[in-house]
Amino acid sequence: MEFGFLVYLSKSWGLFYLLALFIAVLVYALRPANKKRFDEAANSIFDDQDKPCR
Amino acid sequence: MIIKTHYRIEKNSIALVLAIILVSGIGGLFEIAPLFSIDETVESAPDMRVYTPLELAGRNIYMREGCYACHSQMVRTLKDDVDRYGPYSLAAESQYDHPMLWGSKRTGPDLARLGEKYSDHWHTMHLNNPRDVVPESIMPAYRWLLRTPLDTQDLSLHLNAMRRVGVPYDDAMISNATQDALAQATPELSTSKALMERYGEETNVRVFDGKADTVTEMDALVAYLQILGRLTALPYQESSSTQ
Amino acid sequence: MLAQLSFRERNLALCAAGLVMLVGLLVTAVGWQDLIAVHGVIAALYTAGIIALLLKHRKAPAPSPERLKEYYDDPTKIGILLCLVWGVFGMAVGDWIAWLMAYPDATFDAAWASFGRIRPVHTTGVIFGFGGNALIATSLHVVQRTSRARLPDQFSPWFVLLGYNLFCLLAVIGYPLGITQSKEYAEPEWYLDIWLVIVWVAYLVLYLRTLARRQEPHIYVANWYYLAFILVVAVLHTVNNLAVPIAVGSTKSYSLFSGVQDAMTQWWYGHNAVAFFLTAGFLGMLYYYLPKCAGRPIYSYRMSIISFWGITFMYMWAGSHHLHYTALPQWVQTLGVGFSVMLIVPSWGSAANALLTLNGAWHRVRDDATLRFMMVAAVFYGLSTFEGSFMAIRPVNSLSHYTDWTVGHVHSGALGWVAFIVFGSIYSLVPWLYKCKGMYSKYLVEIHFWLALSGTLIYLISLWNAGITQGLMWRTYNESGELTYSFLDSMIAMKPYYIARGIGGFLFLTGACLALLNVVMTIKQASRESSRSDASTRAAAVDLPVAGAPQS
Repeated sequence: MEFGFLVYLSKSWGLFYLLALFIAVLVYALRPANKKRFDEAANSIFDDQDKPCR
Repeated sequence: MIIKTHYRIEKNSIALVLAIILVSGIGGLFEIAPLFSIDETVESAPDMRVYTPLELAGRNIYMREGCYACHSQMVRTLKDDVDRYGPYSLAAESQYDHPMLWGSKRTGPDLARLGEKYSDHWHTMHLNNPRDVVPESIMPAYRWLLRTPLDTQDLSLHLNAMRRVGVPYDDAMISNATQDALAQATPELSTSKALMERYGEETNVRVFDGKADTVTEMDALVAYLQILGRLTALPYQESSSTQ
Repeated sequence: MLAQLSFRERNLALCAAGLVMLVGLLVTAVGWQDLIAVHGVIAALYTAGIIALLLKHRKAPAPSPERLKEYYDDPTKIGILLCLVWGVFGMAVGDWIAWLMAYPDATFDAAWASFGRIRPVHTTGVIFGFGGNALIATSLHVVQRTSRARLPDQFSPWFVLLGYNLFCLLAVIGYPLGITQSKEYAEPEWYLDIWLVIVWVAYLVLYLRTLARRQEPHIYVANWYYLAFILVVAVLHTVNNLAVPIAVGSTKSYSLFSGVQDAMTQWWYGHNAVAFFLTAGFLGMLYYYLPKCAGRPIYSYRMSIISFWGITFMYMWAGSHHLHYTALPQWVQTLGVGFSVMLIVPSWGSAANALLTLNGAWHRVRDDATLRFMMVAAVFYGLSTFEGSFMAIRPVNSLSHYTDWTVGHVHSGALGWVAFIVFGSIYSLVPWLYKCKGMYSKYLVEIHFWLALSGTLIYLISLWNAGITQGLMWRTYNESGELTYSFLDSMIAMKPYYIARGIGGFLFLTGACLALLNVVMTIKQASRESSRSDASTRAAAVDLPVAGAPQS
């Protein structure tokens, strides 16, 4: 791994990677289709506590 | 059907594991990997010498007693740091430090430029009971150093392990490690000449702790403290050339 | 408790304990001239104790298959007790060394008791002993509840818990003897590091196997944090502890990296130990116990996901802010500053999320000290992450670095955030585990809260003052351009602050003792009540499972 190569990589693809990651997380978290799932998850901890399903 | 759901569920947790590794791994990779690949990280210091067996033993005592918890060995590039302690530290100076002892706290002062600043006698008194020399000191008293003979038996193993992690010790240094350690603190021994040949004429050969009859842990620690910042002249040259 | 293990698991446990004992004895034999023999003997004794317990219960009747329809909480119960015992021990040692800084001769003139040797006893005791046991105990509780699945077996949680505590015990006994590799927060020597890797892999496998048994496709976000904690700590620990031992029968090793590379690796580890050991894991705790205790779902589940990826990505870059103005290349330092500052966003996201969850339940926060513990934890989390980002900026760092401000900052996180969330979680968890209405004494919880809060504040304020005073004295010049103060002057100026810090620490320690007492009394009371009540009421108290026998 060359130093110059790494710098090039972080300045070009690294930036795209960072942006892509950020967008991917935002899309996943804010997608309306996921809202129901997240609401369920947030409330899931109040389901019956002492009964494992398996 | 059950198998299929089960598969999907397991796939989710594995995907999460992979995502965490991928996302978290990038930072370490980009930050640390280049440090190993560039030459500019560590300046070249042709006069840099390795620790003698006695100094290495002293360094191990320094680590054992946790000195690094209160003393840094890193003069920063700040004016007040340089004015107080001396030329700022260079990466080359700690290239043989496995591990480095840069430290993170200065309950006591920085030690990177400590070598030859005080006499051996002062160090021995100070380590034995700091409040004998500096009444306000809050450093612990290390009285056992003076009464504990230094264990020199396995020093060859130490040097050998250091060589395996990249420190340029040669075969003669490794096989004579014990003898060299004793010779450095016992100047009248005929072997001290051989020690100087191996590690250079500048090597400090003397009774460090004031007790000529035994080589104690105090000898080793003081020998180490007296070499701090003295393994290469590079930082002193650099600071005079910039001024 | 051991009767809950099936015959197969009992035998497995015997084999594992026997194997560790054998290794311990072997190490003792090979390195009998070295300090490593001490560790070998202790490991052998520790496992001998486990074997004796197992043999005593070996003939106990096979456990009822009914147990598989309930959650397996025994390791969590023991883990909580271990956590509190380690907490009291680690904090007591911490307070002792705090007083050593004002009265340095309080060491009995013994080598083992000098500051440098017992400081790692304090840090390991509280971070790994107190924090680590809290994380293991609560993670096993949370993963079962959120997956609605019982742990896959009854052997591996014990292996993880007891193996981990063996690691902590050997580490803490080693430092006073002088066994250390001197890397801060990674002091244990090479063979203990290897043992921790084994335990940690078992922990990861246990966690993943439990997650694989869940019914819902979605994994609750608390588990994400716990999983990140387990995974990243495994990577950090392995990379930072790479070393070459001088011989198999010796404690001593030399780290693979040296100088600037070692410094960067060490602080990449050091800072991410803060991020993933002392933050991610405890955020997992926060995201389960806080909403659960408040009876309200987390304010924004989406925000918790965004924060998660933010923290996971950005913390990894921030370690170099420990090395400003040093021989580390400048570009690495700059990178560290950038990401450290950006870290405020996900950190405050989590802190705000926690506080907004409590919005509307403030009357409960007022009345219930348990919930108040968690609220204060969230506040201190926000404060110390802000402080951390602030201190990572180069000019600020030039003042704060190497001073007691850093120590104060660490404790603002460790006491204010980590310990508060642990105590809050334990106070809500213990009554659930032992199926009683509440803690033995609500009054003691209340006293503990105020002791902990006042202790933390005294500690922080004294060290902020100490650190800023130090930093300013070191850089003050007089008119003729010379440094005004000698180093000694700055050290003498610290004495009142060090004494105040010792007092603050003592208050906090007293609170931790009360917590241990309260938990022990709650358990005693619960067992007295359950033995008093007859079989029929006991059957009613135990919740019945919904599904049939588990298939694993």
